[in-house]
Amino acid sequence: MNALLPVDTAPAPLTDAAISETSDPTLVARAAAAGLIVLAVSAWPESADDVAAPALAGFVSSSFSPIAAEVARRCLQRRPVPVQGTDPATGLIIVSALGDFDSARRVAQAVDSGGRIAPLMFFQCVPNAVAGYIATRWCLTGPVVCLGGEGAALDAAGLLLEDGDADEVLVIRVAQAATELDRDSADAILLAAGVPQHERGRT
Amino acid sequence: MTDTHSPVPRPTARSQVRRGGEQVVLTGAAVSTAFGRGVQPLLEAAVAGRPGFRPVRRFDVTGRRVAVAATTDEAPRLGDELDRVIGDACDEAGLRREERADCPLYLAVHGDPDLPRASEADGGRLGVDAFAAAVARRGGLSESVRAYTSACVAASTAVADAAAAIARGRAARIVVAAGYLVEQDQFALFDAGRALAVDGRVRPFSAHRSGLLLGDGVGAVVVESASAANRRGASVLARLAGWGRTGDAYHVCKPRPDGVGLARAIGDAMQRASVGTEEIGYVNAHGSGTLQSDAAEAAALHLALGDRALTVPVSSTKSVHGQALEAGAMIELIVTLHALRAGRLPVNAGFLGPDEECRLNLVLEQSAATPGEYALSVNAAFGGANTALLVGAP
Repeated sequence: MNALLPVDTAPAPLTDAAISETSDPTLVARAAAAGLIVLAVSAWPESADDVAAPALAGFVSSSFSPIAAEVARRCLQRRPVPVQGTDPATGLIIVSALGDFDSARRVAQAVDSGGRIAPLMFFQCVPNAVAGYIATRWCLTGPVVCLGGEGAALDAAGLLLEDGDADEVLVIRVAQAATELDRDSADAILLAAGVPQHERGRT
Repeated sequence: MTDTHSPVPRPTARSQVRRGGEQVVLTGAAVSTAFGRGVQPLLEAAVAGRPGFRPVRRFDVTGRRVAVAATTDEAPRLGDELDRVIGDACDEAGLRREERADCPLYLAVHGDPDLPRASEADGGRLGVDAFAAAVARRGGLSESVRAYTSACVAASTAVADAAAAIARGRAARIVVAAGYLVEQDQFALFDAGRALAVDGRVRPFSAHRSGLLLGDGVGAVVVESASAANRRGASVLARLAGWGRTGDAYHVCKPRPDGVGLARAIGDAMQRASVGTEEIGYVNAHGSGTLQSDAAEAAALHLALGDRALTVPVSSTKSVHGQALEAGAMIELIVTLHALRAGRLPVNAGFLGPDEECRLNLVLEQSAATPGEYALSVNAAFGGANTALLVGAP
């Protein structure tokens, strides 16, 4: 990460040690290679104590939304404090190849067996729902996007920053366990443009 | 590459919003809905205000509160329908095989339709990117694919991202496709969530509206730089003059009642296009037909357009073709651009009477009025995600 930082917000880039302890180094490396500044990172799990993410009011049965909310909380609590008087617009990108796989399977089983579907499942089956929870909890007013892959997410984040749709973008990647042998995992990475703010908008 | 700024920043736009200097156009568009394949049957239904809702026979709806949707009786495969519209859109754009092979695909879908009933062993292989890659391969497009799953703004976000990339010179052209075919799982979820209109009609911005109805929608557009289209002598269907995407930061699934987030998306699109409120001749609203969403959207239009919100013709074509979820914004973009080309205004069907919270100039019957030079297509989704696409006559 050798790109310049915006002097008027002056966030400290993360140290390599902090990154390796708390996030997927591949995702961080790809963000840096794309010329983006990494402001904060987090992961699930981060330690052996991370067995189940805290329950999320309004979301039932599935781990997808709770772990997304938890990595968002960890990452945003580690973000540099914005300079007083600035109010950065933060975009939010949720990345998942399978979406909320667990909820989708439960709904299909209920439909096929004639079982009842809990009304709360109505909204939680799309990743936008937990994005709405995170955006509301942390007052993120930038664009809300859900994508299937991390490469697309980093490209999209870079363009949102370059075009001024957002000052920061929080990318959250969620991989829900597809089999009993797998474990849920998630990463969050808070990004800023890799050019000084006063240079943005120039050629 | 230079940045383009509006000469007068809009109060509802972010002052920092900008775009690359390349102009963006649409050179191909194809669609399939409950009215059949092709734009013409859909456009005719939209300007006549003739809804496509009928009893669902594609799957069992026994025990559901609502049993209608805008569908056909057949159960086509989503992949097959996507293949068809992508091929048709590329044909209309006049793309040669080698041009298609260089063309990225942005695909808006809920996911691989086989995923919810896949075995544990197979499920992990049915990612939405893999589904998009297979669609691109069959369509002779490049391996550069991305999949959008952002619910009702998935397609419009994909179009906006494609426009932004092309404006910055990152690509000469991008195929954006989207698809949703009414199926048992989403139908059951929307029924359980009491979101479906119990009277079997979608009545956007109307008194006594009771909710949305689902509808089939599969569509594709070719988004292209104006200079690339010009170099190969392609006909331009419409200009994609501006785009905006914002978040409400308000609720998991309800829109922000004062419409501030959606108004910012509209303002951003107008600022990128350097277009004033008086130049907008038609708004294809999100208009889902739900109580809260329509009122919030009316508030957003008043915030973004000022007094023009009382006079600009507005309709929601969902009143005719239903809610196509991840593909809804694609169907509405295609209706909007063809209404602009035909000089016709789509009708806001199902209207029963005015709602004081939705003071808009709704198109309530077939009209001789024309959309003019610019039209807005507006969308909102769960999570407070908002988009606006501003389309200009070629």
